[in-house]
Amino acid sequence: MLREFELDMPGNLQETLARLPGGTLLAGGTNLLVDLRARREDAERLIWLGNIDGFRDIKIEDGRVIIGGGTTIGDLLRNPAMAEAAPSLVAAARVFGGQMVRNQATVAGNVCSGSPAADTVPPLLSLDAEVHLTCSTGSRTVPLNDFYTGFKTNQRKHDELVTGLSWAAPGPHTANLFYKLARRKGDAITVVGVAVTVTRDGDRCTEARIALGAVGPTVFRAKDAEAMLTGEPLADDLIDSAARKAMEESSPIDDLRASADYRRHCIHVLTRRLLKQAWEDAA
Amino acid sequence: MSLEKAITVEINGVARELSAPANETLLDCLRRHGQFEVKSGCEKGDCGACAVQIDGEAVDSCLTLAWMVEGKKVTTLEGLNDADSPHPLIAAFLEHGAVQCGYCTPGIMIAAEAMLRDIPDPTDDDIALALSGNLCRCTGYTKIFTAIKQAAEVLRAGGGDD
Amino acid sequence: MTDQEIPYRQAEANVVLRQVGKPLERTDAEGKATGRTRYAGDYTMPGMLHAKVLRSDIASGRLKHLDASKARALPGVVCVLTAQDLPDRLAATDMPGQTGQKRASTDRQILVREIIRHHGEPLALIAAETPAIADKAYDLIEYEIEPMPGVYDTEAALDPGAPIVTEPDNIVGEHKIRKGDTEKGFAEADHIIENTFHTQFIEHAFLEPEVGLAWVDENGVVNIRMSTQVIEHFRFIADALGVPHNKVRILGAMVGGGFGGKEDITVELYLALLAQATRRPVRLAYTREDSFVGHGKRHPFSVSHKTGVTKDGKITALEVKISADSGAYVFLSPYVLLYCAVAAPGPYRIDNVKIDSAAIATNNMYTSAFRGFGAAQACVAYEAQMDEIAKTLGIDRFELRRRNFMRTGDKTATGQTVESAIWADECMTQALEALGEKTAASGPIKIGRGVATYQQSYGRITWFHDTSEAWVGIEVDGTVIVRSGVTDIGAGQASALGQIAAELLGVGLDDVVIYNSDSAVTPLAGTTTATRALYMTGRAVHTASSNLRERLVAFAAQELDARPDEVDLANGQAFVPDDPSKSMSLKDLAARGASEGLERSELAMFRAPFTDPIDQETGQGPVFPDFTYGCHAVEVAVDTETGEVTVLKSVGAHDIGQAINPQAVEGQIEGGALMGQGYALSEELIYQEGKLVSPSFSEYLIPTSMDMPEIKCIILESRSGLGPFGAKGIGEPSLTPVAPAIANAVADAIGTRVFDLPITPEKIVRALRE
Repeated sequence: MLREFELDMPGNLQETLARLPGGTLLAGGTNLLVDLRARREDAERLIWLGNIDGFRDIKIEDGRVIIGGGTTIGDLLRNPAMAEAAPSLVAAARVFGGQMVRNQATVAGNVCSGSPAADTVPPLLSLDAEVHLTCSTGSRTVPLNDFYTGFKTNQRKHDELVTGLSWAAPGPHTANLFYKLARRKGDAITVVGVAVTVTRDGDRCTEARIALGAVGPTVFRAKDAEAMLTGEPLADDLIDSAARKAMEESSPIDDLRASADYRRHCIHVLTRRLLKQAWEDAA
Repeated sequence: MSLEKAITVEINGVARELSAPANETLLDCLRRHGQFEVKSGCEKGDCGACAVQIDGEAVDSCLTLAWMVEGKKVTTLEGLNDADSPHPLIAAFLEHGAVQCGYCTPGIMIAAEAMLRDIPDPTDDDIALALSGNLCRCTGYTKIFTAIKQAAEVLRAGGGDD
Repeated sequence: MTDQEIPYRQAEANVVLRQVGKPLERTDAEGKATGRTRYAGDYTMPGMLHAKVLRSDIASGRLKHLDASKARALPGVVCVLTAQDLPDRLAATDMPGQTGQKRASTDRQILVREIIRHHGEPLALIAAETPAIADKAYDLIEYEIEPMPGVYDTEAALDPGAPIVTEPDNIVGEHKIRKGDTEKGFAEADHIIENTFHTQFIEHAFLEPEVGLAWVDENGVVNIRMSTQVIEHFRFIADALGVPHNKVRILGAMVGGGFGGKEDITVELYLALLAQATRRPVRLAYTREDSFVGHGKRHPFSVSHKTGVTKDGKITALEVKISADSGAYVFLSPYVLLYCAVAAPGPYRIDNVKIDSAAIATNNMYTSAFRGFGAAQACVAYEAQMDEIAKTLGIDRFELRRRNFMRTGDKTATGQTVESAIWADECMTQALEALGEKTAASGPIKIGRGVATYQQSYGRITWFHDTSEAWVGIEVDGTVIVRSGVTDIGAGQASALGQIAAELLGVGLDDVVIYNSDSAVTPLAGTTTATRALYMTGRAVHTASSNLRERLVAFAAQELDARPDEVDLANGQAFVPDDPSKSMSLKDLAARGASEGLERSELAMFRAPFTDPIDQETGQGPVFPDFTYGCHAVEVAVDTETGEVTVLKSVGAHDIGQAINPQAVEGQIEGGALMGQGYALSEELIYQEGKLVSPSFSEYLIPTSMDMPEIKCIILESRSGLGPFGAKGIGEPSLTPVAPAIANAVADAIGTRVFDLPITPEKIVRALRE
């Protein structure tokens, strides 16, 4: 049995916002209900977000993708526009849980869980996504890059709701890739996740983003490595040096799934591969 | 004990009123009301044995609270076994021996049926992706894949309709 | 002599089979495919209580005190049992259902009285009006455990001064096998190759956690309906309750997977105690976490091979040292160890063999039965060793095997003559062929291929004097009923019996209903373990059906004015094939017979070969009824930079004697391929100081639909087995060669070997760096 709690089921956004203080948000429930059962979580009042109209909508306006706070991982896979508007995120969605969990888990919930192994976060960081937060008195937007404050902590205030995420769809000559390394191909916790975006202008890289998952207290961007690439032609040895730099920027730990040493090794390998692939794809 | 609430829900086409406390999962609630074809395997979304569809979408009923299905349509394997027109998946699973211990079967059928509505002509990769949350320990999935492809073919040919 | 010259015995060659050998839809399939089948957890009773087990969360300690008074005082709590509430009885952990054999003195405490020996050892049992109240009571039991030093690996357990988990010295089983003269054999060798292989703790991971419902009936009989492979634990339960054996009845239901994990006693003991104490129906359903910590695991083994070979690849001597972690209680460890020791030389003829083996107690979770039962671990070692030998000699791996395969009439290491077909070579050849063209390597992605062949017993150890019973009857309308205690754990055990009866009685499988798995009302068939159900119970059904057939045929001959040897039964008719005027329906025949007082049923017992135990010092003597032989072949892709492995092709080829239902056989082969793949690559229970730190399916990774390739099955039929129609067994054999085949394929791909399972990406990367 799950421990006892109150279940608040507001019918719209305004009601939801009004009830936020003191409550714990229940979106897909794929983390929260598991934590409640395992007694890692002791929320007394849950606020279910499933009755907010249009909360799962996905829109593309003027080249900018906006997904609602209730958009599920499955919604990403079912939306045919996403393959171009968020290639890395679609790649992550394909290796995210199983079909049922994908239909329940929300992107915003995955982002807010703050787990360094959260699969949607490296892609969203590589897309330079923004987090849209709303409370009963107003709204604000925080770059995802600034959202995390530490292991499983973030900038969302207790009276705020993530109402959506947005990012610019990759333009021409931009490649956006993700790879998840895990102990099993289907439905497994990430050992190392790498997402990269490379924008190319002729034989130069005009912008590069490298986001790394499960190798630090939060998912993060390897900015020193990115800086090595910007403005340069991505020759194999530069790619390799940048991949090494990304490895040096990480701070993985040993756990049941892998050692820190192996994780570092894989960051180097995967970052190198993805950058090389992205550089070719962006041509 | 948490407060019980009566929820109105359509289960396999039949309007039902179920009483449930706030902290009861849909899995426990359905089984308590006699839907034993919904199986409990892990209670944390790892195995898919408890999969049901809510308004046509496959979900793990262990990660769904009973109250969340208020006003919705819930489909279990029983709902695919309409006496007049059983779903072609059932015949295909029988023909190809895709059922062994049978404990994962209800969840797999639910996941497969949802996929076939999205992807009428699935590749092996499509099926693998659709079933990656449904653990099966008896088969190696080979016969399950064969059966799903056959059911897809039957559905594309217009079979399974009334 | 070549194998062609040795005639293996062959059953009923060239017989036309009408039902047997056909891929019929299993009798249990429709109920499962429509969700109508009721599993043990789907039964409820009015007034039913809900039970819960409180367990120790550390592996080694002393229970200083335990106070259940607050829990008992909670409204809705009906019963809390602690060791103090139980008479000082023990629970059996020995092999169930042995006839006429003395039980090993390996019984364990039912609930912790003082000493805690493993993580998850039960401290108290709770029965309450609702699951929620049982949960609350669980939190209200107060107890204090003083941690004690434990021992968590087998080497440390043998150190002087090590904590003693099992008296007197932590050694819970030892077996020796001595054949020929290994010193002489090594002297004749051109090369001596030594390697040590390690396997890990693994979990059965059946999808249906242990569950049951018990009640005491009007006759004072404790009834337990549950998910189990072994209804014949009723005797052990009666002993633990202190009641006569006929006062406990175990009823099964279709089992949601077993694989050996539902072979030992699980929930039935707790259910029986609570039902006896409360006199109310009690239901106990394990959570997945309960299941992970609540039943025995597959033994980790360390197996060292020292093999002498001539330069042309003939094995001249083999020395094997085996140690197994038996965990905190003995359970089936001595037998699992025996299986490993006997299997250790593989399907190879080796004249000089010396094997020493020991099972050693630790404070890890106890280990017991698991599909493959020690023989699987043996295969992980001997087939890897064969590839290592081939590499050293520069001989083709498959050719090396061919030069050493046993032939029918050869003796095993224990001196048992194999009388059935040994088609390991043919199976290997066909499996390799089925792999087809090799996939091309690309950059860091290397392709490797591997095979493993095997010799695996079917049927139980012959000094258990194993028997099985079945009853077959024909109703007055010509329909057929089979009754047998066999449990159906998902492989179609019951349906196969129906197919055998249908064959012999001339009806379709649709005309047969099978009643199974009830210790009180179906004839006792023994366990569904040891790849014995089809072999043993199939033979019992075969005998019962044949005897009934004989009587029906004799009666039909009278009715049709023909000789009995002219009458055949088929398609629901008794008829004389050459004379269309002479036929009658089975329905009429049965009705006529009934009115004439013809006995329309038969109860038969099948007895496996009975032997005396092997010699303790030399291990010489017969151990098993017979063996299955086969091969699994795989092709893998290995990413040499990340260590990721993808299994691209997977083929099982097995001589199973005679397929009763080929589709069900394929199901076993495919399931074995999945389980073996997990064993090789991703599955591992991680214990830290004896505590299981990965008790869920998000940490314990069995292969998913995205991990499995299409599996090809090749069924060979020598009709040389001891089972019905010459069948052998496939339940365990299908698994055994898979993990070593994958290990060999990975080694082939990367040019070096990972010696301990699972072969994780990280280990591959490490091996490549070294």
